[in-house]
Amino acid sequence: MRAHSRVTSWTLLSPWVFAFGLFGLFPFLFSFAASFTDYSPIRASEARFVGLANYARALHEPAFWSALSNTALFVIGTIPFTTALALALALAVQPAFRGRTVLRVGFFVPSVVSVVVLSLVFKGLYAADGSLNTLLRALHLPAPDWLLDPRAALPAIMAMDVWSASGYYMIIFLAGLEAIPRELYEAARLEGASSWDCFAHITLPLLRPTLLFVLVVNTIRSLQIFAEVFVMTHGGPLGRTTTLVYYLYEQAFSRFNLGYASAVAYLLFLLSLMLAWLQLKVVGGRGAKG
Amino acid sequence: MNARWSHAAPLACLALALIAGACTRQPARATEIVFWQFWPAEVITPLLEKFEAENPGLKVRMEQLTWDSGKDKILAAVASGTVPDLCELGSTYMPRFLASRALADWSAGIADLKPGIRGWEMCSIGDANYGVPWVLGTRALFYNKTLFARAGLDSLHPPETWDQLYRAAAAIQRLGHGVHGYGVSANDRQKLFKKFMPYAWGNGGEILSTGLDSARFDSPENRAALAFYLTLRKVGTLGLQDALDRDFKDGKLGLEISGAWLLKQIPNEVPTLRYGVALVPKPATDRGTHASFAGGEVLVGFQASKRKEAALRLARFLVRPDNVEALVEAAQSVQPATVGADTTAFYLARPNQQVMIRQFEFARFTPNHPEWDAMEAAIEDAVEKALYDTQSPPESSAAHAAADAQRAIVELLEKH
Amino acid sequence: MSDSAPAVARGTAPYRALWLAPVLVAMLLPSVWMVAISIAPEAGNSFARALRGPFGLDQYRALFSSAHLGRYLLNSAVVALAVVSLNVVTAAMVGYTLGRRRVPGDRFWTVGIVATLMLPKQVLMIPLYLVIARLHLLDTYAALILPFAVDAFGIFLVRQYVEQLPIELEEAARVDGASDWNIFLTIVVPLMRPVLAVVAIQSFLASWNSFLYPLILVDSDRLRTLPVGLALLSQTEHSVDWGFLMAGSTLASIPVLAVFMAFQRQILSGLLAGSEK
Repeated sequence: MRAHSRVTSWTLLSPWVFAFGLFGLFPFLFSFAASFTDYSPIRASEARFVGLANYARALHEPAFWSALSNTALFVIGTIPFTTALALALALAVQPAFRGRTVLRVGFFVPSVVSVVVLSLVFKGLYAADGSLNTLLRALHLPAPDWLLDPRAALPAIMAMDVWSASGYYMIIFLAGLEAIPRELYEAARLEGASSWDCFAHITLPLLRPTLLFVLVVNTIRSLQIFAEVFVMTHGGPLGRTTTLVYYLYEQAFSRFNLGYASAVAYLLFLLSLMLAWLQLKVVGGRGAKG
Repeated sequence: MNARWSHAAPLACLALALIAGACTRQPARATEIVFWQFWPAEVITPLLEKFEAENPGLKVRMEQLTWDSGKDKILAAVASGTVPDLCELGSTYMPRFLASRALADWSAGIADLKPGIRGWEMCSIGDANYGVPWVLGTRALFYNKTLFARAGLDSLHPPETWDQLYRAAAAIQRLGHGVHGYGVSANDRQKLFKKFMPYAWGNGGEILSTGLDSARFDSPENRAALAFYLTLRKVGTLGLQDALDRDFKDGKLGLEISGAWLLKQIPNEVPTLRYGVALVPKPATDRGTHASFAGGEVLVGFQASKRKEAALRLARFLVRPDNVEALVEAAQSVQPATVGADTTAFYLARPNQQVMIRQFEFARFTPNHPEWDAMEAAIEDAVEKALYDTQSPPESSAAHAAADAQRAIVELLEKH
Repeated sequence: MSDSAPAVARGTAPYRALWLAPVLVAMLLPSVWMVAISIAPEAGNSFARALRGPFGLDQYRALFSSAHLGRYLLNSAVVALAVVSLNVVTAAMVGYTLGRRRVPGDRFWTVGIVATLMLPKQVLMIPLYLVIARLHLLDTYAALILPFAVDAFGIFLVRQYVEQLPIELEEAARVDGASDWNIFLTIVVPLMRPVLAVVAIQSFLASWNSFLYPLILVDSDRLRTLPVGLALLSQTEHSVDWGFLMAGSTLASIPVLAVFMAFQRQILSGLLAGSEK
C-alpha cells in the first residue's frame, strides 16, 4: 500500500518537475549566474565575472533605493485594500439572490482587459481634463493632474491596481468560501451565533489557506508592478513611480546591462521570499481540521 | 578594390546558386532574407514585392515589430545569435549597438551612397559605417492659426525668436477658458530631451565635446536656454507628449514643439484645424540657429547573419530615393534621409512637410557615445526637476539642473 | 444553482445593495470609457469628443476587415485552450500532492514552486528565449504552450484549497480499499471543481492576454496571437490608433467574459452541502 502511494505521489508531482526542469530551471540559473557578471545581451560572449559588484552597486545606488521604497509603498498601500475588498465582495455575492451573477460578472470585468489597454484607459481618465477630474471638480474636490503630480501619481496607480485586482481575488475567495461546509454555519446558527460570530469564528479561520494564497500571490505580483508604469508614467514624475521592475527593465533593455538587472531581480526575489515567509508565519496554518 | 568585390559578391552568390540549382536538378531555392522592421505591412509590403521582382532568387520574410517592445525582441535575438539578416533600428538604440560588435561593417558596401543620403552620424564610428540611414525625423514648431488670430497675432508670421515665441504664447495664454499658450513637455522618456535641446543647441550649447570625451553640458548657453524653457511654463501648460498633441488637435493649445506624426494625424482626426509649422525659434535675430533634434531609422545587418550580402542588397534597395519616397508618402510621419527630398512633387505640394525637411538643415543628431541613453535620461531628469521647482527663479533652477546633469554625464564618461 | 447558507446572514440584503451598487458602477466605468472610444471613430482618446459623437461602428468594421484578425483569434484560442487544459490537469495533480503532504519535504516543494513566481519575467525572458531557440522551438505553437503548461499559481491555489478540504472522505475510501489513483480521480477531483474552475478562468485570462512572450517567441504573422496582433495594427511610432485599439480590446474581452460566465457557476456549485455523512 505504501509503495503504491509513493509512486502515485511522485507521478502526480512529475509534471511540475518536468516542465520546470526544461523551461524554468535554466532561466533561473542563468539569471543567477548573470547577476555575478557584466553580461550584456549584445555582447554576450564578452561577459566577465564581477563577483558581488552588481549587488554592491544596487545597495549603493540611490535610484535602487528609491525604486525599492516606491515598490514598498505600493505594496503596503494596495494589499490590505485589495484583500479586504475582494473578501467583502466575495461574501456579498456568495449567497443566492437575484442578480448575483450580474454582480459577479461586473466585479470581474476590470480583470478581463489586458493591463496595457487598461493602463491606456486610465491614462485618459487621469488626464488633467479627464473624466475623473471633471467629476471631482463637480464635487468641489481637488483635481490634480494625477499622473504628472509627484505626490499623486503613485496613489493614482495604486488605486487603479486595487480597482482591477479586487474582482480577480474575489473569485478566489468565492472558491475558498465554497470549501467551508454548510453544516458548521447551520450548527452555529442553531446555537444563536450572530453573523459576525459566524464570520470571525468559522469563516475567517477556515479561510486561512485561501487568505494566505491571496496575500502571498498578490504581494508577489505587486512587487513586480511594471506595465502600468511603463504605459502611464514611464517611471516619473521625478521618479516617484519607478518600481523595482521598471528600474531593472530600464537597466536590462535600455542600458543593455542584464547582469546588473539580474542582481536587482534577485534582490527582489529575496524580498518576496521574506515577505512570503512572514505572511506564512502570521496567517498560515491548516484550514479544515476540526 | 573592396567596392568591386562587394558588388561582385552577391552576383557571384547568385550565379553559384543558379549553377548549383541547375546541377542538382532541384528547383532553385531562393535565398530568404529575414527582415525585421516597424512599419505596418501595407506600407512596406509593396516595396518588398518590388524588390523580389527586381531580384529573382531573393525572397524577403518580413516580420513586423511593435514600437514599444520591438527592441526587447531584437535584444533577445542578438543574445541568442538567431538574428534577422536585415533589421531596422532607431537612432536611440544605435550608440550601444555601435559599441558592441554585433553589427556588420558596411563601410565598403555603401560608400557610393554617401553623397546622396543624410544622417550618417547615426550609424558611423569614425570612418566606419555600420548601417545606412533610411528615414529621418525632426521636431518643429506647430502653431494654431485660429488662436493666433484670436490673440491678435499675425498667423502668417509665426515667431522666429525666443522673445517673439514668449510674447505669442503669453498672448494666447491670456485668452483663458482652457486655452494655453505653449505646451511644455513633462518628463516623457526620450521625448522631453527632444523638446528642450533644440533651444540649447540653437543657443550654441553642446552636450559633449567633439571627441566625445568631455562633458560640455554646464555652459552659459545651456543655462540660458534652460532658463528660457522654464519661463515658457508661465505662459503655457505642462503635459506629456500625447496630452499636448491632443490639446493641440482640440484647438486648446497655441504652440508646441512636435513632430511629423501630427501632419498625418491632423488631416485624419481634425481636418478643420487651421495650423502651421515653423522652424524652431532661435535666441535672437542676430544670434544662434533654428536648431532642432534629428534622429531616424537605420537599416543594419548583423555580424552573425549568414546572408549579409543579400541583406545589404535589400538595404540599398530600400534607401533608393524612389523607394524611400514611396515609404514616406505612405507613412507620412517621417522624412526621407535622401538629400534633396524636398524638391519632389510630394513635398512641393505640402508646405508643412517641407518645413520639416528645411528644419533638417539646422537639426542636430545626438552623440554616438555608448552611454548616450543614460546621459539623455540624466538631462531629462535634471530638466524635469527644474520644471517642478516652481519656487526658485528660473535662472537658479536652470543653473542647478545644468550642474546636476553635467555631474551625471561626467560620471558616465568615466565609466568608459 | 446552489442553495448556499451564506457566511453573512440573509437579513443584510438591502444594506448589501447600498454599497455594492456604487462599487459596481465604479468597476464598470472604465470599461464604458473603452467602449465609448471604440464607437466614436473621430474622438481619438478624448472621452469628451467621444460623447459628442458622431458614433459609428467603423472601428469594428476595420477590425473585421483586417485580413489577419481571424488568424490572430484562432491562434490565441488554440494556445489558450491547450494551456488551460494543461494547467488544470497539472494544477490538480501537483496541488493535491502538496496539499495532502504526500511527498517528503512538501513544504520545501511548495516554497520552491511559489518561488518560481518571484523572479520577474523581464529578466527571465532572454534566457527563456535562449532555451526555446536551442530547442529549435522558436516560431512554433509549442513555444507558446509548453513553457506555460505548468503554472505555479494554479498549483499553489489548488494546494491551499485542498488544505481546506476535509480529509474524511478520502480516508473512508481508503479504508474501503480504493487505490490512490481511484481516490484521486473519483473523489478528490470532483471535490476540487470550484478551485479548478478558478484555475481555468485565471489560466485562460493569463494566456489570452499574454503579450510579452508571444511577442518575442514567435516571429511570423501566421502564429501571432491577438494582443500582439492588436498592438501591431493599432500602434504607430508616436501615436496609438485609439478607436481601433479599444474596439479590438472590447472584442478581446468577450471570450474571457464568456469563459468566466461558463465556469463561475462551477465555483459555487454547493458540492459540500451535505457531504459530511
